Amino acid sequence: MSILLYGMNHESAPLDLRERLVVPEGELVSTVGRLAGAGDVEEGLILSTCNRTEILVHARAASAERTLKSFLLTVGRATPEELERHCYLHTDRDAVRHVFRVASSLDSMIVGEPQILGQVKEAYAAAHAAGSLKTVLDSLLQRAFSVAKRVRTETGIARAPVSIAHAAAARAHEIFGDLSHSAVLVVGAGKMARLAAQHVAADGVGSIRVVNRSYQRAAELARELSGAALSWDRLPGELALADVVIVSTGAPHHIITQDDASRVARHRRGRPIFFIDIAVPRNVDPRVNDLDNVYVYDVDDLKSVAEAGLRERRHEAEAAEQIVERETTAYIDWLRSLEVTPTIVALRSHLHALGAAELERFRSRLGPLTPEQQRALEEFETALMNKILHHPIQALKRSTARPGAGTLVAFLREAFGLDGRGPANRGS
Amino acid sequence: MDWGLACLRAALLFYALGFLAALGPLLSGGRRRTGVFTPWVALTGAACHTAALFALGWSLQRCPLSTLPEILSALSWASVLIYLAAWWRYRIEVLHVIILPLSIVVLFISKIMPGEVLPVAASMRTPVRHFHLTAIILGVGALFITFAASLAYLIVDRALKAKRPARFFASLPSLERCDVVGRMSLLWAFPLLTLGIVTGAVVNESLTGSPWAWQPKETLAVLAWALLGVVLAARLGWGWRGRQAALLTILGFSMVLLRMLGI
Repeated sequence: MSILLYGMNHESAPLDLRERLVVPEGELVSTVGRLAGAGDVEEGLILSTCNRTEILVHARAASAERTLKSFLLTVGRATPEELERHCYLHTDRDAVRHVFRVASSLDSMIVGEPQILGQVKEAYAAAHAAGSLKTVLDSLLQRAFSVAKRVRTETGIARAPVSIAHAAAARAHEIFGDLSHSAVLVVGAGKMARLAAQHVAADGVGSIRVVNRSYQRAAELARELSGAALSWDRLPGELALADVVIVSTGAPHHIITQDDASRVARHRRGRPIFFIDIAVPRNVDPRVNDLDNVYVYDVDDLKSVAEAGLRERRHEAEAAEQIVERETTAYIDWLRSLEVTPTIVALRSHLHALGAAELERFRSRLGPLTPEQQRALEEFETALMNKILHHPIQALKRSTARPGAGTLVAFLREAFGLDGRGPANRGS
Repeated sequence: MDWGLACLRAALLFYALGFLAALGPLLSGGRRRTGVFTPWVALTGAACHTAALFALGWSLQRCPLSTLPEILSALSWASVLIYLAAWWRYRIEVLHVIILPLSIVVLFISKIMPGEVLPVAASMRTPVRHFHLTAIILGVGALFITFAASLAYLIVDRALKAKRPARFFASLPSLERCDVVGRMSLLWAFPLLTLGIVTGAVVNESLTGSPWAWQPKETLAVLAWALLGVVLAARLGWGWRGRQAALLTILGFSMVLLRMLGI
């Protein structure tokens, strides 16, 4: 019994190859169904995203490797040589660890990005629909979801912002909390202004207004952001009303000077105002940041926040790897215990049956017994069998923690004749 | 064995443990969530503190609000309970590391003070005086929260100006939240302090025949009260807020604390 994972990701394979091996969403269920019927495969699941295509199976024999390789060739246009060069194969413990790492977003291009868990859940749903999941892979995926949740709540890998727009939005939240009562003013209608505004407005804002020298472009962006467009000459008045001001115009000079900002700050009576200046050259005088209750972040400031965020996520990933490692060990132990449990049960019932039968056979030779004597005999039988069973069962339980449990299971089954071929069965 | 003293020591220990449990994660740079256990540890401390106050009252056969150490002990107790209520309502983790040390210091001072300092004449143990002290203790307890929120405001403000990385903010509330908590707690504290000062004048009058003795301590209290009143009025009436509001609030709180400690 083994778990195998075969596939490629954004690090092992070029985009060109990954593109050719994407399984279209509509074909996922039928493709997984085909996988479950192939060769030695007992259970199967396919994870196909723009960054990875991976096949996970639970197979009766490790030789299923060949089946997997030839199956992946049928998924898209690729040559065996390409697969050989760009694919990886993980088995058992490594495969389990890989699944946990992928679900926890530790194997993603941007560590901690949230989409991958949803994609793994879709793959799980498709495999479920195709009927290709049974005990082992089903429990593995369920465990992967809980590991991902643990990693997310116990470490900060998803917390720190990693892009300029994200950093700007995060900082706005650090000032105003949930922004649902905040007024956002976008000055300029370029690509960067749009991106930053989208991030800031992602969780809902009180209101959005867009001013731009060309009213038409302001109107376009306003429509996209569900906000209102205003003409350029309204800028001074709007400044005093805004909490977050995103500035990104092509102007080569400061659009918001220290005097403007200080007038606005006085008018706001201490209520904070946040300028996000993503224009190069800068549109907000950097000295504005010296004013009380006024905060200015330019591109470099935001970039350094984002870079610190990436470092932070990488640091947090170390703690996450430890969680994954512990969970992998726990899962593998559980899988192995699954292997020894039937043997323990069989051993116990076999020996107690033997004891009861022998007791019955010798019972008549002892003549009439009082109920106490009868009970003592039965207790003797139970105690003796438990003594005999103690060490083999302990050894079986211990064996789950290290490789080679199968050998001990096979030996004990053979020695005690648990599979109907042993000496005890022959004698009776 | 003196059960009251044992309970008081246990309370101090639990407050200190709660503080340390919140401080560790905070110093780790916001990597871990601050003070998951702290509210429970502090609550256990408050329960011990309650038991200690009851034990003291039982052994004295009177309400333990007569001497300055007793009043300070009650203030420390009330501040922890009010902080727990504020934490429960606003979930501001940074309260743990500001309020708990304050409560510990106040409780510690009450313990090292000689017990018989400022003995109070039997004539002062009147219901009006108890009412006066209760109002003052609750008002100052609420003012602890105002102080903590204002201090947190200044910390977040500085961090934003210094453009600190995101993880620095992980265990800090937003500026907005600091401001809301500062305003709401002052809104509770100020009427209680007003009530305390008015009833204090009544007590004074019954003792000395004059409502106002013009002692420096009393003048300090009234100045602090006036300052906080101006801040509250400007906040409510004029929509004033931000850094200066936080700074003035902290000044007012410091004056009140100086007056309470009797320095």
